[in-house]
Amino acid sequence: MNGEDQFEERLRRLPQRPVPPSWREEILLAARQASRSSQAPCLATSKRSEQGVTHFAPRWHAMLSTLLWPHPKAWAGLAAIWMLVLGLNFATRDEPTRVVRWTAPPSPQMRELLHQQEQLFAELIGPIAPPDADGPKPPAPQPHSQRGEQFLYT
Amino acid sequence: MPSQRVLNVEPMPADFDLERLYDDHTQALFAFLLNFTHDEDDTRDVLQEVFVKLACQPDALCAVRDQRAYLIRLAHNAAIDLMRRRGARARNHEQFSAEQISAFAPNTDPDEAAFCKGLAAALGQLPPEQRAVVHLKLWDGRTFGQIAAVLDIPLNTAGSRYRYGLDKLRELLRPLYEEIK
Repeated sequence: MNGEDQFEERLRRLPQRPVPPSWREEILLAARQASRSSQAPCLATSKRSEQGVTHFAPRWHAMLSTLLWPHPKAWAGLAAIWMLVLGLNFATRDEPTRVVRWTAPPSPQMRELLHQQEQLFAELIGPIAPPDADGPKPPAPQPHSQRGEQFLYT
Repeated sequence: MPSQRVLNVEPMPADFDLERLYDDHTQALFAFLLNFTHDEDDTRDVLQEVFVKLACQPDALCAVRDQRAYLIRLAHNAAIDLMRRRGARARNHEQFSAEQISAFAPNTDPDEAAFCKGLAAALGQLPPEQRAVVHLKLWDGRTFGQIAAVLDIPLNTAGSRYRYGLDKLRELLRPLYEEIK
């Protein structure tokens, strides 16, 4: 226990490295500048929005970094793959519109031509018998086999 | 906070003295941050962030009883944010072990210098959470209750982190320590 205390005491007595003297002015200057900018009266709207962007950009960056930590590159890669998949999906969506264009109704001239062709075809073939409008015909009578009965009686 | 920076238009309180705050607490914050991040540039960035925050929100210190503890908490949170932002937790750990950045003053006595170097290397092998507790206990003279409050951890966790950290330091420094003793 005494040895432990001695060890701790030994560590405690070690002198700390001093702060580099040049830091004082730099840090205090940066703090004063930040303080001055925060105390500035109402800023012009455009200037404020500009500042907002510059202030919020690192904030967003920090939030994203925290969110994606500890493997930001892997997440970024995954996001890129998803973007690629979505892009391909959008690119292939153009096909159905083309099909719709193809199946658009024919023009009046084309319709007239088709009608003429239909008439010519009807003249060549002759009148087509109208299909029988009655219900389904009963099945034709089939020979009754009496082999089963014969087998029973024998 | 940037948004607060834009919205806060109240002047600084009359008794708010940024220079005095800097002179009173920066040495302790510097030592803590250097031990925690083991990177001088990160330490400077975090220190500046803390003082910029204080300058923009001077009222934040009004209700604070222990300014040093409040500042260490700000610095600790800012350091964690910075490490996360850079994704540097693992990288920093490797760098810590490799470069052996020391938070201790250079010493003319070769034995002391060797011990400090060994201690810096040994601290590098501790996880940052243990390093923070060990630093606050040994070199900032805080109780476990205060450490728990500053780092926002349970009291038992503060105690166990200190014990694990100190045991590892003792184990790693035993040859050097026995030699000097």
